[in-house]
Amino acid sequence: MAKIPELKAQYIWLVVLIVYIIPTLTPIGAPFEMSDITIEIYEFIDTLPEGSIVIIGGSYVFAFDLESSAALIACLRHMARKGLRVVNAPFAVEAVQFEKYCIDAARVDEKYGGPWKYGRDYVQLPYMPGAAAAYVAFLEDVHSAVATDVEGTPLSELPLMNDLRSWEDIDAWVCPHWSFDFVVRYATAERDIPSIYFAQAAAYAGYSPYMMAYPGKCWMTNGFLGGAQYEKLEGVPGLGHAVVDAYAIMSAVYIIFIVLGNITMFSRMGEEEEEI
Amino acid sequence: MSATITYVRTYLVRLLIIIGLVATLASYYFVSPQVDAVANELNIWNMNIMTFTLFVGIFTIFSRYIKSVMDRSKYWPYMLYGMVLIIVWIIFGTYTGIYSDIYQTAFLSTKITLHIAILGQLIFFMTSAAYRLFRIRTMRTAVFAICAMAIVACNAPWLLGPFPIVDKISFWLLDNPSMAGARALLLTGGIGGVVLGIRLLLGLEKGALRATEEV
Repeated sequence: MAKIPELKAQYIWLVVLIVYIIPTLTPIGAPFEMSDITIEIYEFIDTLPEGSIVIIGGSYVFAFDLESSAALIACLRHMARKGLRVVNAPFAVEAVQFEKYCIDAARVDEKYGGPWKYGRDYVQLPYMPGAAAAYVAFLEDVHSAVATDVEGTPLSELPLMNDLRSWEDIDAWVCPHWSFDFVVRYATAERDIPSIYFAQAAAYAGYSPYMMAYPGKCWMTNGFLGGAQYEKLEGVPGLGHAVVDAYAIMSAVYIIFIVLGNITMFSRMGEEEEEI
Repeated sequence: MSATITYVRTYLVRLLIIIGLVATLASYYFVSPQVDAVANELNIWNMNIMTFTLFVGIFTIFSRYIKSVMDRSKYWPYMLYGMVLIIVWIIFGTYTGIYSDIYQTAFLSTKITLHIAILGQLIFFMTSAAYRLFRIRTMRTAVFAICAMAIVACNAPWLLGPFPIVDKISFWLLDNPSMAGARALLLTGGIGGVVLGIRLLLGLEKGALRATEEV
């Protein structure tokens, strides 16, 4: 068997770069299958009555959470269309910026021509430190855990916050951040609040058994693919659709390189035996 | 004197842990508004302490960095740059508000863009590493390589369409072998935490409180 040369890392990086650039410049519109779970999430949001209060909260860093933004932006548009109300509850420093980014990108605020008015339909709370303690404090008594919104307005002056006192007023919890375990533990398991996680692909593998543990109470989408699925359901192609092309090609390229590495090894093993 | 302070600190921390532990456990197992109120109050304390530690963090960074910059120790220009950035961001955030559009734009254009770029680089290294490392030489590396390929394949849009069964295989893998391993890690970690807590309360584990360093 002919000896296959070892590829230098730089050549592999070049292939990866090309794989990213081509679909960015010329989108190929890679097909993707709709997930039953994403449909369930969509239908669950649909069943929530007008005026229901949904918490969007969790904790991690913006750069990781960006993967969740595709599904969240589509979901925000869905919730705004349905007349739901949202309270953004950040439990990490950068979560405030991430939640603002998604609200702005979804164009749901009336300043962008959307149906939501700040204070009446959605509120942005400030960062709540304390990890697990903050989640519990927030769920037990919202107004004790946090006194003002992110801009310092007392919660009593915001109509939406007068309707949100404790976990009993929460109809669903959407987590677009990494720390879904806190949400499942304190909101779903202990207080029976349905939870939705727009998971990053890397987190999905770790947290997906929660769906088996709490069927009909806990759902997750999978990375940008899940985002693209939600966008398709809502009819607003965005970041998810844009990324799926690269996602599809890259997953094939990754497997090809693993196979190629093994073929290279086997071809060289034969050579080594002959040399011996 | 320093030893006395260390021991006072150690016992004070131990007392706080016991109060927190008992309050949390009591609120979990008993239905009592009084117990719930104590537990909630402690949770609020916890949040306040965490807020305070953010300030402590800033002071700690500055006290260390200033010393390093004065001594011209290794990487001092980066430390100086870090301190300047912290001051600029604090003034900027305080002046404009962290929910303002201008703060958001500045934050997205600098910190977030750079962080995303760093994360984006990972796929280059992951692919070249997969090429070199996932080579089936032994049973162990075979399991490793097959698991990696299975996870990628089960998330690949081009495979999920023509073969919907892949999605079910993916869930079976995640819900059974993957969850079993994860639960084992979680349980052992939890048991380890309980053992560590007991050792801490009994005074056997002083290292965590830095008691041994100063005595």
